[in-house]
Amino acid sequence: MATILTVDDTASMRQMISFTLSSVGHEVIQACDGHEALMLLKGKKVDLVIADINMPNMDGITLVKSLREQADYKFTPILVLTTESQESKRQQGKVAGATGWIVKPFNPEQLLNVVKKVLG
Amino acid sequence: MTSWSRWWLWAAVGMAVSLMWTVAFVPWWAALGSGLCAVLTLTVLAFYARKQDETTPRAGEEVLEGHDAKQVLEQVDALMSPSKDIEQIPQVDEVLQSMAADNQRRRVDDLMRRWVDVGQRYAEAALVLRREIQSVIKQTEQATGTIASSFEAVINKATIQARQAMELLEGTQGAASDGVPQSLKDFIQVSDERLNKMADEVVRVADLSVNMVRELDGVQNRTQAIDGFLLDVEKLAEQTSLLALNAEIEAARVGEHGRGFSVVATEVRRLSKRSHEFSDRIRVHLKEVRTGLSKTHGDMRTLSAADMEHALKIKDDVIALTRSLEGKNREVAETVSRINAISKEIAQDVQNVVVSLQFQDITSQKLSGMLEPMDELRSTLYHLMQETVNLDKGLFKNLPGSENWLSHMHDDPAAEVEVKLTKNPEQDLRKVHGATGSGPAVELF
Repeated sequence: MATILTVDDTASMRQMISFTLSSVGHEVIQACDGHEALMLLKGKKVDLVIADINMPNMDGITLVKSLREQADYKFTPILVLTTESQESKRQQGKVAGATGWIVKPFNPEQLLNVVKKVLG
Repeated sequence: MTSWSRWWLWAAVGMAVSLMWTVAFVPWWAALGSGLCAVLTLTVLAFYARKQDETTPRAGEEVLEGHDAKQVLEQVDALMSPSKDIEQIPQVDEVLQSMAADNQRRRVDDLMRRWVDVGQRYAEAALVLRREIQSVIKQTEQATGTIASSFEAVINKATIQARQAMELLEGTQGAASDGVPQSLKDFIQVSDERLNKMADEVVRVADLSVNMVRELDGVQNRTQAIDGFLLDVEKLAEQTSLLALNAEIEAARVGEHGRGFSVVATEVRRLSKRSHEFSDRIRVHLKEVRTGLSKTHGDMRTLSAADMEHALKIKDDVIALTRSLEGKNREVAETVSRINAISKEIAQDVQNVVVSLQFQDITSQKLSGMLEPMDELRSTLYHLMQETVNLDKGLFKNLPGSENWLSHMHDDPAAEVEVKLTKNPEQDLRKVHGATGSGPAVELF
């Protein structure tokens, strides 16, 4: 099973994502903002990143951009999970290099399906 | 003007006249009606005339000014008494103007004071609101975290419980290995087979006893036949004895020559007697054998009947037991499928809870979204207030606590008192509702 990093400033969101993904056997690590996520990813390789957009210190778009600049994470799938649903924001995410966009609240079954699809 | 002010007099006259000249030609009520109409008309006319009267002088002045100002001034001079009033007119204007200016300033001052007051009150309200919103965000975050953790723990425990129950129940449904029954179903099958085999054995033994009884019947019949043969033997012996006796008599009659014959006859009689004795002894033994056979026959009959009964009862019991065990097995299978169905329902409920538990993130984002425009408005208001204060420092003399409210207004929101969260959600929730102090949650007096 895969190792997945979830980045969200809300503890309950991280808990829900972790609960959903570990129920099918994935290993889930958590970060509360983009900055912490980058620190965590320095010495560790993950198979998938699920990130929020609005976060303190470093937002999701910046995180996606920074990850895409790294050789290790050039092709790692990155899913954005956010309350934002406007087209402009989505475009911003797409341009930054995100693999997919999920609008909160997520449905566990739907999230697992998407994760399965992007992990291949 | 004076004549119009006595309109009631004119009305009375009008009414009297109309009454007087019409009463001669029409009934009195018609005359009265027409008189009243006339009075009404006159009254309306009088009011209109009075209104016109009040507005005419200004219009007249303008007309006169435009027409011939000099002439009019002369007339006015003639009408008015020669005095210093005309010199005083410009002074009155000045007084009026200064009064109007004072009035305006007072109104502006009042407005400014009210504006500053509103600003102050908004600043206070906004701070309270901001604190409350942040407290709500923190509290919901804490509460949701607790709910999520508890929920996760509950689900994990429920999963373990369900798995153990399934393992236990599925064990009774598993396959047999090495001839040892592993499942309830196999156990039923094996025990059914063995009990049936045993019942069959018992039935076979019962059958055998029935056969033995039948055989014994034959043996008994034969003993009776032997009895008959013995009678024949006895008869034969008697006849031989009689023949020997006759031979003896005949030998005696012959005399000496018949002596040898007599010895033979005596010997034959002795043999016949012994034969009789043998026959008697055989009969005695045969009687004993028949008594024994009869007893065995009875015992065997009882035994075979009891065996059969017992075997049939065992067979019935085995069938009943098997049915009961099969019923239990069905119940177990139903429970397993019920547990499976409940597990599916729980999975659906879990999905719903996971979706619902994300509300906290959404609501706190919305609440935080409210803070931004509020802070912007507060900042704008702060600058406006500062400008107002710089404009007129005297404005705030009468406001209570006016020394620090403006500085308070620009407080850094981040420096606000944070709600300290504990590990006890009940306590935290009480904090949200404004309950303070360390008293007990429930107190009985």
